[in-house]
Amino acid sequence: MADVKNIKVDRMRYTKNKLSSTLAYVAIVFNVLYFVSIYSSNVGNYYYNISMGLSVLCNLVFLLAAFLCSEGIKNYKIGYAYFLIFLSIVQVARIFGIPKRAHGTIITLVEEEVKVMTDKQFTYVIVCLLISAVACLVAGIVGIVKTVVLEKYKKEIGLN
Amino acid sequence: MASLSLQNLNKIYDNNVQAVFDFNMEIKDGEFIVLVGPSGCGKSTTLRMIAGLEDISSGRLIIDGEDVTQKPPKDRDIAMVFQNYALYAHMTIYENMAFSLTLRHENPNLIHEKVLAAAEILGLTDQLNKKPKQLSGGQRQRVAMGRAIVRTPKVFLFDEPLSNLDAKLRGATRREILLLHKRLKATMLYVTHDQTEALTLADRIVCMSMGYVQQIGTPLELYDTPANLFVASFIGLPPMNFFDCTVAEGSLKGDGFEYMLNDHEKALLKDYAGKVITLGVRPENIVHGNNCKLNVISNENLGQTTLVHGTIGGHKATAKLREWANYKHGDVVDVAFNGVHFFDKETTNAIR
Repeated sequence: MADVKNIKVDRMRYTKNKLSSTLAYVAIVFNVLYFVSIYSSNVGNYYYNISMGLSVLCNLVFLLAAFLCSEGIKNYKIGYAYFLIFLSIVQVARIFGIPKRAHGTIITLVEEEVKVMTDKQFTYVIVCLLISAVACLVAGIVGIVKTVVLEKYKKEIGLN
Repeated sequence: MASLSLQNLNKIYDNNVQAVFDFNMEIKDGEFIVLVGPSGCGKSTTLRMIAGLEDISSGRLIIDGEDVTQKPPKDRDIAMVFQNYALYAHMTIYENMAFSLTLRHENPNLIHEKVLAAAEILGLTDQLNKKPKQLSGGQRQRVAMGRAIVRTPKVFLFDEPLSNLDAKLRGATRREILLLHKRLKATMLYVTHDQTEALTLADRIVCMSMGYVQQIGTPLELYDTPANLFVASFIGLPPMNFFDCTVAEGSLKGDGFEYMLNDHEKALLKDYAGKVITLGVRPENIVHGNNCKLNVISNENLGQTTLVHGTIGGHKATAKLREWANYKHGDVVDVAFNGVHFFDKETTNAIR
């Protein structure tokens, strides 16, 4: 017990991976911020198509998956860490879906041309998705590192 | 660890009910003190006053030379173990034990070392990742003790910690507490209404009744030389038998018996000639002999001994005979008193 590094690792046997778990929750929060702001502009029925349904579904799936991952990674389950990294990729990819398309589109509303997504709104949703992606990525990496270190330590002391 | 000085402690509630009267005691560093008495005698109130959970109406409480009477509980450096464990159900055992130190923002590595050391002492190392509901009552109580140990407080307070456990577990946990005290050499105050716990654990016992301290002494002192009728009746299992009798010349005359006094006893009772006093005889001091007759009502075999319940004259009496006997209702056993206590009938104090 004299080795401080070993104490730190040994502590992980009894404490949860709160950092990764919290980061996963941060990802969820910013995803919610993205979701509630993306359809807020008054653009008639521009969004009323199949992609809106898919977007809603995608958000729900993300929320569920991120929540499960936050719980799993809390207990040093490495599979959830990898899945969080996958979710971070998904969040980045989503930038090129509805936000990118809506930002580049101009529609005519009551004889007036308007941008579906203003620059300000676009920046806001991109920041939300990026923060969510980074949170997932860091949560996943931290999770992997901690889990590997813990497993190695457990083997060293004859557990598992 | 610390010494305690309890000076004229009184507890008067808002409704003018006084729970503790003039409690005075000096507790030495590392001593194991047991407060014992029936329900409502003020023992838990005294403990809670020491912990700071109850205000002290008057008097002073000094811990290690420092007057802490007006200090809040958190500044008294005291740890208390409760009857109902008071564990956080949503936390693991490790988290429960580490909680008080985490609140104090202590170094996590230091907390870890302290929790592991306490778990090792209490045999909880394999349970640290479990939740309280996954443990037995005895293990939960050990966790509660562990939570106190990690803080390395000046004084440990135990408020009937074994009352929720079954008889077998109570015995085992009692022995663990004793070992813990020997290991930590800590000052401990322990409240119980169970005299077996008091006799087996204490360096000194404080026997209380109706808010008053009746006697303070070692377990043997309380057993062998009880200060009054209350202590005599409370300490000892089965309780002491009491007989009213008149002091005659060279003997005590009671209903159905005559007890011959020796020279020492005659000297003790010289001021009581012709008066009625109370004679106390422990069940184990009633032996086979020819002084009086015990009319048997019932018989309880306990293995090495037999409890014989009956009457001597008009008084109920219990004898603890060192034999396996099978007396039946109506049998008459010839017995004698081998060791007695005298009590003043009016003051109930022991005559010494």
